[in-house]
This record gives sequence, structure tokens and C-alpha cells, in this order.
Amino acid sequence: MDIFVQILLNSLETGGIYALAALGIILIFRTSVTTNFAQGSISMFSAFLATIVLIRTGISPISAAIVGMIFALIIGVLVDFFVISRAQKVNPVSKQIITLGLIMIFLGLAPMLFGTDPLQFPRFVYGSYSFFGATISYNAIFNIVVGLALMGVLFFALQKTKWGLSVRATASNEVVARMMGIPTASVTRASWAIAAALGTLSALMLAPTNSVNLSMMDTVQVTALLACILGGFTSFYGAVIAAYLIGFASNLLSFYVSSIWSDSILYLLILTTILFKPTGLFGKKVIKKV
Amino acid sequence: MNNKLMNFYKSHKPYSQFILFGIILSLLPLLVSLGLVKYSLLTTVASILIYSIVALGLNLLLGYSGLISLGTAGFMGMGTYLTAFITADLGLPFELALIISVAVPMVIGVLTGLVSLRIEGYYLAIATLAISEILRKVFVEFDFITNGFSGKQAQYPKLLGFLQLDRNGTYILIVFFLILVMIMMHNLVNSHTGRALSTMRGSEAAASAMGINIYRHRLLSFAIAVSFSALGGVLYMHFVKYTYPNAWILMLSLNILAVIVIGGIRSISGTILGAFIVFGVPDLILKRLPIIGSIDGAAYIFNGLLIILVILFYPNGLINMRFDIQKNFNKLFRRGEDNNG
Repeated sequence: MDIFVQILLNSLETGGIYALAALGIILIFRTSVTTNFAQGSISMFSAFLATIVLIRTGISPISAAIVGMIFALIIGVLVDFFVISRAQKVNPVSKQIITLGLIMIFLGLAPMLFGTDPLQFPRFVYGSYSFFGATISYNAIFNIVVGLALMGVLFFALQKTKWGLSVRATASNEVVARMMGIPTASVTRASWAIAAALGTLSALMLAPTNSVNLSMMDTVQVTALLACILGGFTSFYGAVIAAYLIGFASNLLSFYVSSIWSDSILYLLILTTILFKPTGLFGKKVIKKV
Repeated sequence: MNNKLMNFYKSHKPYSQFILFGIILSLLPLLVSLGLVKYSLLTTVASILIYSIVALGLNLLLGYSGLISLGTAGFMGMGTYLTAFITADLGLPFELALIISVAVPMVIGVLTGLVSLRIEGYYLAIATLAISEILRKVFVEFDFITNGFSGKQAQYPKLLGFLQLDRNGTYILIVFFLILVMIMMHNLVNSHTGRALSTMRGSEAAASAMGINIYRHRLLSFAIAVSFSALGGVLYMHFVKYTYPNAWILMLSLNILAVIVIGGIRSISGTILGAFIVFGVPDLILKRLPIIGSIDGAAYIFNGLLIILVILFYPNGLINMRFDIQKNFNKLFRRGEDNNG
């Protein structure tokens, strides 16, 4: 029982990290019609920036995270301004390739600016708490709560605010949305900025257990993309629920089956799932009209 | 005599062009042994040619089916490990290793395709990304076959059981396979299947209305792409003679994608040009420059920027530059004539 509670708590934390990254990918997918493969690299890059600021100025990890997210917002805006907004007429496959080109640029810039050595990013809060025989660090609680709260705010904004309405309108049909007077260009730009910030937060939550290095987000990136597939690209919440499910399954597999192969087994399981449920667990079938 | 040769060359285009290209490439070892070019240039060119083979397969997938595979490096790596295991550990002949090392990745590729190609095209990129992560894990963890992080070695190939090739011989073998693949690609694109793929590119809905099975053709082009990746892996293994897990990362798959995008989509000569730009320029030029050469990620930034710039401003690839230059030149020339007259 206590082991199960422990796994559940761990899953909430890892699931939250995946969910933040997946939400960023979905946001971009819905507004710019491309799977953003560079999400992980942009997050890694901003995480490096946050860590450098932390080391140079000695501010608290939370303020460093906020600084990192502000950097990420700026990077997101710059990426959209210089690249994505100019690629509106480009077909979806080429847009995907553009995001792959962005990976190369960020992975090339990072060692140039920050060096090749991995950096350490501390936990946000220290200490731990135990109940039902399971131990949870305050940092994990902090991550879980911040992640859930941020996603809650974002979902509330998507459903209830004018900005959310314009995002959903852009997502459902960009041309019609523009005709209705929605500034789709700035909606897309805002999604890129927010996606980058969400990714950066997930990177900084992951950083203390690992380190800040060039490949820190590789697994998160793959898992987040698979979460989008599993949840279905057609809804915002599907990917988030799928990300938590994947976090839970990953912890279960690594405890009961094999810690080395848990990710690989999980990937195969997800790919088999879409064989039976092609639109994802929560996706709607989109009928193509000619 | 000379005239006859010219006529033969002209009447058998583009095959004669491919073969001429192969003959020119085969002269490189001669230049090396004469001391005209550096010894290391042969290695650079050989790896460019290997990546060209891999990219030609991927060009079919991207150019005609509009699909992206991010598993290229994984499947290439799988080819290297399989052939090393079969020739070095089991002591079986090179030809058998070649067939098995191409067939096994192809089967895995087809299985991946079976799952992911049913749905939207962009699923394949994500599925292959996941598969290549799994493969890399296998390269590290199955150390009784792969030797883990320390890597695995193989020898230059021995053809037909008695013809032991050396470095130059293996290079010629690579050139031979490249020309073979170029001819195969040319024939495939101009065959019934190629025309079906072209129709799919225009409009999938129209193609399926005409009775073209989209799923089957997507699967076919993916299988060809994977088998060329594995073939590239086999040739790599027997030329470089060493393989290790970190050689087969996502970055290599991205570079191969860059080859196609930069060189020219749906173009055989464009692919070769792209391979020389993506894998040659960083090695031969960027590293020699004073400040840029010492930067670690310069090659990545160069290729990444080039991908984005080409897609945004020159979507058909740099191979089309010669037509544009010719057009502009003609225009300039004519204007000059007009002014004079």
C-alpha cells in the first residue's frame, strides 16, 4: 500500500512535468498547425539561462525560474517573429522541418554560450513530509501544486476569457477567425511564448533530479509528443490527462518491471494503443472534406 | 570514336551521367595515392557518399509521401551493429550480413509504419522518434552484442569469400552502391509506383479516388527509406570499422533531413549536392576558419539556419539555383542586346 502511495505521488510529479511540456506542444499545434519538435530544445536553452542567472547573481531558485520563464517568453516571441510568422504559406511538413531546424540552432548555440559542462539547479524548497508510510519532498509538493495551478489557470483562461476564445477560434479555423477580426498573428505569437515558458518550467522542475545539460529534455520531449498522440491532438485537456497517465505508467513499470526498459516498454504500449484507438483516448475523429 | 561515345552518353542519359559521376568519384583514391589531396579527404567524401545513400531513401519518403522519419540514425545504427555482429562475432560472409542487416531494420520499420501510417502523416515522425530512442537504449544495454558504450568493431569487407578489400576498395564499393541506388531511385520514380506516389503528393484524396492505396504506398516508401538507412549503416560500419551508441543520435537524423531540404526535394542530384553541403562544408570549410572553427556547435547552427532559410525563401532546394542563375544570366544578356540594338 505504502509503495503504491509512493508511486502515485511520484507519478503526480513526473506526470506534471510531462503535462506542462505536452500542453505547450498542443497549444502550438492548435494555433500553428505544426508539431513543435523544438519545444524541448527551447526549454533546455531557457533552463540554461535561468541557471546561469542563478549562479551569477545568487537569487533564489524560484526567482531564477521566473527569470527563466520570462527569457522563454521572449525566445518564443522571437522564434515566432523571425521564423514561424513568415512560414504561414509553407505546408505542414515543411513547418515541422522548420521546428527541427530550430532544434539544431538551439543545440548549436547552447554549448557556445553556456559551455558543455552540465550545471546544477537546486530544488525550489527543501525538506520532506511523510504520511501513509510514503515520503514526499516539499519540492515535489511544490512542483505538483504549481503545475496543477498553472494548468488550471490556463484551462480557465482558455474556456472563460476573450484570449481563450480567440485561441480556440484560431485553432478551429484560422482563416475564418481572421475574418471575424481575431488577431490570429498575435494569438499564435502568444501561444509560442506561453508554450516556451511552460516547457522551461517543466525543465527546471526536472533539473534538480538530473542536471541542466544539453540532452536533459530528450525524454520529456518524446514523452510529451506521445502524450499528445495518446490524448489526441484535437483537444487541450486530452494530452494533459494522457501525460499524467504516462507518468503513472512509467513509475509503475520502472518499479514492477524494469527501471531500464520502462520508457521503451511504455513507448511501445502507447504505439500499440493508437493502433486500436487511432484518434487517441480523448480525440474526436476529424472528417476530411475535399 | 569520340563522337560515338558522346552520342552514347547523350542517348543514355541520365544513366550515363550517373556512371560518369561514379567514375569521377572512383578517381579519388588515385589522387590520394599520388599525394595530390589529403588522406583524410577520402574518409570525408566516403561518409558524404554513405549519407547520400541514406538521404536518397529518405528523399523518396519526404518528397513523394510527405512523411518525415526521425528514426534514420537509429536504423542506420542498427545496420552497423547487425553487420558487425554477423561478420565479426559469427564469422559469416559479408554478403549474408548485408542482406540480414538490411532486412531486419526494414521489418521493424514496416511494423512501425503499420502502426503510425494509418493516421495523419505527422504521427510517423513521432513514432520513429520513439523507436529511435528505444533502439539507442538497445545499443547501450544489450552489451553482450553491442559492447555498450565502448562500441563495436568490424573489418573491411571480404567479397565472395576471397576478395579482401582495403580502404580504397571499400571506398569503391560505396561508390558502386551509391550509383546503384541512384539508378534504382531514378527507375522507381519513373515507374508505375513512382507515378502513383507523385499523384499522392498532389492530392491524397484525388489519388485514393483514382484507386491508389495511400496506406500501402506510404508503407512502401517508408520501407525503402529504412532499408537505405540500414544499407548506409552497413557500408559505414565496414568503412569506419567502429560504431558506438552516441553516433546514432537525433542530430544525425536531422542532418540527413537537412541534406534533402537544402539540396533539393525530389531530386537525385540535389540530394548529392545537399550531402556535400551538410556534411562537407562543416568538415572542409567551417573548421578551418579562424574564430568560427573553434566553436562547438557551428556546424549545427549552420545547417539549422540553412534549413529554415531554404524552406522560407528557396523551397525547391539549392539544386535549382543553376536554372535560376541561367535564367537571370539570359535576362541580363538579352537586356544588353536590347540596349545595343
